[in-house]
Amino acid sequence: MKKLVALFLALVMVLSLASFAAAEEPFEISVLLPEFPADIDFVNDFDSNPVLQKICELSGVKLNIQWGANSTYAEIFSTTLADKNPPMLVSATNARDPQVINSARAGAFWDITDAIHDTENYPNLALGNEGVYDNIAIDGHVYGIYRSRAFPRGGIYYRLDIAKEVGFDREVKTIDDLTELAEKLAGYSADTYALNMCSYTAGTISVITVAMGAPNTWGVDENGDVYPAHKSPAYKAGLDWLRHLYEIGGIDPNFAQISTSDWDNIERTGKAFMRFDCLDNAHRQQEWFENNAGATEQVFQSVGPVAKADGSVTVWPQNPGFAGEILLMKSAISEQDLPKVLKFLDWCNTSEGQTLINAGLEGLTYDVDEDGLRYVPDEKADEYGKNEKMYHNNINQLGMGVAGNIENPKARVNRGYSELRQRYEDLNLELAPYAVLNPCYPFVSETYTAFGAQLDQIISDAAVQYIAGLIDEAGLQAAWDDWAAQGGDAITMEYNEAYHAAQ
Amino acid sequence: MSTKAAERRKLHGTGKMYWHKLGADIKRDKWLYLLLLPGLVYFIIFKYLPMFGIVIAFENYVPYSGVLGSQWVGFKWFEYFFKFPSWVTYLTNTLILSLMNIIFYFPAPIILALLLNEMRSLRYKKLLQTLLYVPHFISIVIVVSITFVMFGPSGIVYKLTEVVLGHPINYMGSPDTFRWMIIGQTIWKETGWGTIIFLAALTNVDTQLYEAAMVDGANRLHRLWHITLPAIRSTIVLMLILRMGSVLDTGYDHLILMANPLNRKVSQTLDVFVYQQGIQSGQFSYASAIGLMKAIVSVTLVVSSNKIAHLLGEQGLY
Repeated sequence: MKKLVALFLALVMVLSLASFAAAEEPFEISVLLPEFPADIDFVNDFDSNPVLQKICELSGVKLNIQWGANSTYAEIFSTTLADKNPPMLVSATNARDPQVINSARAGAFWDITDAIHDTENYPNLALGNEGVYDNIAIDGHVYGIYRSRAFPRGGIYYRLDIAKEVGFDREVKTIDDLTELAEKLAGYSADTYALNMCSYTAGTISVITVAMGAPNTWGVDENGDVYPAHKSPAYKAGLDWLRHLYEIGGIDPNFAQISTSDWDNIERTGKAFMRFDCLDNAHRQQEWFENNAGATEQVFQSVGPVAKADGSVTVWPQNPGFAGEILLMKSAISEQDLPKVLKFLDWCNTSEGQTLINAGLEGLTYDVDEDGLRYVPDEKADEYGKNEKMYHNNINQLGMGVAGNIENPKARVNRGYSELRQRYEDLNLELAPYAVLNPCYPFVSETYTAFGAQLDQIISDAAVQYIAGLIDEAGLQAAWDDWAAQGGDAITMEYNEAYHAAQ
Repeated sequence: MSTKAAERRKLHGTGKMYWHKLGADIKRDKWLYLLLLPGLVYFIIFKYLPMFGIVIAFENYVPYSGVLGSQWVGFKWFEYFFKFPSWVTYLTNTLILSLMNIIFYFPAPIILALLLNEMRSLRYKKLLQTLLYVPHFISIVIVVSITFVMFGPSGIVYKLTEVVLGHPINYMGSPDTFRWMIIGQTIWKETGWGTIIFLAALTNVDTQLYEAAMVDGANRLHRLWHITLPAIRSTIVLMLILRMGSVLDTGYDHLILMANPLNRKVSQTLDVFVYQQGIQSGQFSYASAIGLMKAIVSVTLVVSSNKIAHLLGEQGLY
């Protein structure tokens, strides 16, 4: 009898162990993310990557990441959508991409409109901003989780030390201040330039034209009709501002041929002193100067609200509160797996999930100080920097943060970097009310879908040529007329219809 | 006329006759036909079967729905292409680039082959040939990079022109120089490789003809003009007809690498547009429709240029 009981107990134990092991078998989720290049390769092998293992330990999900080089991500994305066996999750860098819209309408993605309002099962996803979910919705349905972005990020920053050297020692508060600063920086020396520009000009042009009062891509006139930004006189005023700066030698004459990847280096090598781009670059550049050029003081300054002559302020927000989304592919996720995938996405938006995805692992990529703040000790900077690239790096591309910035522990910031970083967070709040939004963002224009890329190019190429003095006002007007004839008028009409219907 | 028609009838015979004859042929030369088989299979699998994909040009193709499940839209995308005048720009850019290519690049390998043919030292000739093939194996990305380094704002050529002319020429960022840069790069990269076929044709020239001409007092130029060139004339015509088939092909990689906002007006060709629409924007149907139109034009051009070659008494392609 005893033997029998013992045998029975042993059997139970073995069985329970077996079932335990079966329950612990991690669920595998494949995901396509854009990869930004680093000098050290990412360790994509689960068994030798502690960050992936930690994610698995906490969420029960074994991540299988497929990387798509960021420089050709558009190509990789469209071929992935065409793939019969795509990964379960796909990061779409542009939620308004025509193929995203077409595929969503054909039923390629899971409709998760109900799930994001399910506070019981997915409490973190439900914390997302309703307005932003509306912005990524297609025909009223949500197909992905958006990747939250500070809003607004667009802005102006410049070299504080050089500005002082050329005799500009006050805060930039008006357009006139900005003009004076730019002119003075232009006169610094013969081989340096005031404004750092490269072949990517859309950001630079948007910052200055919107600051001058132009709409963001599309505007609404007094009759309630939609019109393209370049029809606004303020847009032209912004271009004139850049053209003037170009004429006085404030912009590199070859900027249109400078690759985006050299953009940062131009500031780092001291070839240019001002940039209209993302505000968070100011503290990144500051950090670089501290680490590589021995800067001990604040060498960069970011600019707050810039008032026009009438005292009003308008700011280009750089993004509509998010940048892209994570799509759930229907052909890769079965109906019974869907809750598991959603549960994982929900976990990604918890405090522990966000910390792992955005910051990596304690003792591997950061330490925690006595105040409970995250930091990288100087003596471990190299080691942690290497670990970061090997084990974590682009995993942050999976970061969504729909529940807000709830990373824990928070990062401790140091030296001049801290001031600028703090200023960045403050400025985002301060500038938010002045942000100019694109009223046509939620709408789909069929003509824009077919011809938009080329049409956008007509406008931006003409702007570049005008700034560089290759065409005059008549040439600019001719390009705009060309835009209208090539489909611009049709797009305006389609947006107007959609806009009026939505009012 | 009537004899020709009769000849044609005789040649093709009735359908039944044709198959019967083919069957007999296959039986007789079965080993030769076996040799043909792998090539045939290759063409069927990799060239003919994918052609069914052309139907997406008439659909609103969404990958998720598949080729069979996507909505049929007929000629919508073809109409779309001609809806706005931008297609004129793409077509003109394509044709100008192609024409320049035919005028300036096409003769280059012929001239080079003739020059090589005149060389006395065989060893030197062989060495030179090998060296001339090398650029063909260099990726176009590298070629463009080299060009940037030499002709870009900090390049030696840029600086030299500044010294010589007193003002710089923006080689890489001007619509006026763009096409010349493209042609220049093509000539640099492909001329050596292009000589192969002409050199092969030149080996077929009967050397007795040269000897006879020399006896008659013909100098080098005479021999070149009256013997060498006529001997490779049919090859040149053949290459030209084949070239006509790709008049609308400019390739996209080379052009995209060289394009920037300053020269986009002339760098936008049909191929670049197809790439942007199809691969970058995922508008597969739209891109296929444009590609299909291009293909139809190309076939027409090959057939008609072949006809013209026949009319001029050349052998042509077929």
